[in-house]
Amino acid sequence: MGFREINSKMIEVTVAPGQRLFSQRGAMLAYTGEVSFTPNMTGGQGGVMSMIGRRVANEDTPLMTVEGSGTVLFGHGGHHIQVINLAGDTLYVEADRLLAFEGTLEQGTVFLGSQGGVMGMVRGQVSGQGLFTTSLKGHGAVAVMAHGGVIEVPITPQRPVHVDPQAYVAHHGDVRNKLSTALGWRDMVGRGSGEAFQLELSGSGAVYVQASEEKL
Amino acid sequence: MSGPVHDPMTLPADDNVDPYTFCVELKSTQWFMQKGKMIAYYGSIDFNGIGHGRLDRLVRTSFHSPLHASDWVVAEGSGKMLLADRAFDVNSYDLEDGNLTIRSGNLLAFQPSLSLKQSIVPGFLTLIGTGKFVAASNGPVVFMEPPIRVDPQALVGWADCPSPCHHYDHGYMTGVMGGLRAMTGLGGASGEEHQFEFVGAGTVLLQSSETLMAEQATGVTPHEPGVPGGGTQGSRGQGAGAPRLPGQLGDLQRRFGL
Repeated sequence: MGFREINSKMIEVTVAPGQRLFSQRGAMLAYTGEVSFTPNMTGGQGGVMSMIGRRVANEDTPLMTVEGSGTVLFGHGGHHIQVINLAGDTLYVEADRLLAFEGTLEQGTVFLGSQGGVMGMVRGQVSGQGLFTTSLKGHGAVAVMAHGGVIEVPITPQRPVHVDPQAYVAHHGDVRNKLSTALGWRDMVGRGSGEAFQLELSGSGAVYVQASEEKL
Repeated sequence: MSGPVHDPMTLPADDNVDPYTFCVELKSTQWFMQKGKMIAYYGSIDFNGIGHGRLDRLVRTSFHSPLHASDWVVAEGSGKMLLADRAFDVNSYDLEDGNLTIRSGNLLAFQPSLSLKQSIVPGFLTLIGTGKFVAASNGPVVFMEPPIRVDPQALVGWADCPSPCHHYDHGYMTGVMGGLRAMTGLGGASGEEHQFEFVGAGTVLLQSSETLMAEQATGVTPHEPGVPGGGTQGSRGQGAGAPRLPGQLGDLQRRFGL
């Protein structure tokens, strides 16, 4: 199937019979052929239990199932779109940022506390991810929305990457992240640099950073 | 800072300065433009509101929507003028003995060699003739060929093709489960039940997002039998994108993700 970027704010997806695709509701711009858009009550894959899990975790986002044969154009809210092709690894992203993803990917909800305990939860609060985030695993393409353009920063074992939590979009690969603080007495008296919290990602993979500190 | 610093000589003539700014060169010529879209100019340019006066002849030949004239001004003189609209993408298009219909809020300026008319479709304007016009869009404009179905909010305009018609997709509301869904409102709506369908030969212009530009009044059409929307304001409230389907709770429903 594959996602094709038409410009920085629009993607084109070819849908064939038997292939499913999930997309955010209302994100379709145009289509040719016979394609149906069915609201997906469970907010993605899995059964009712997955839905409840997502609701509890506040990682549910209104999705629709796209099926049929034809070509669909997606875009949403004037946000920049980054297409990420996954080849067996796992992408971690906030559910709100998902524009579309292929049905071949396995969707899950991850508790951030499981990656570093309490610090993981603190990190989730700071980066705006909350306590939970969505994971997509397998082979297929994902279209992720961001405010401003997106750059991909590779992470290698020798070179950890520090990211402003507000500019963090998503990451994939075998990556450990921790919140590094550079709090000093200056922050306490309100003369801080404004960059007291940083997300440190180490391991091997890639992190996507948006050119803005604005949330979606 | 990157990018060159411009002066009157280096500014492009009738071309984009950057994706968000367009430069018009006037050589004792005239351009029609929407009020408030000029951000800067070099030279001596007059901006005249369209009304009764010496521009009457021009207005009569290239402006066919008399009641909508108060939103437009005529720029005339010599110099270079920069047009922009709230950092939306701006592009110019050339028409050669053609016709193009565009959402009224997206049209920024046009040469008087084109004539502007109200479209039968409310909220749209049609340009006929030969000349250049400037239009804004949210995100770059993408050109598509019919047959295509387009989300109403993503449509910027269309050229050379027959007028669009409405297309409704609510297949998922049929059958037993669909009936249940429609009765209870559970499951929600996909937000894509309603499209504009284009068939035939031509080009459809799409913008890359579903954020609409503020709608500009297209003026009032005469109140007479057979005129669609006759007597009512061309631009009606835009909030209701898709018609409310049975069992649909509207915004609240989407917010709760049902």
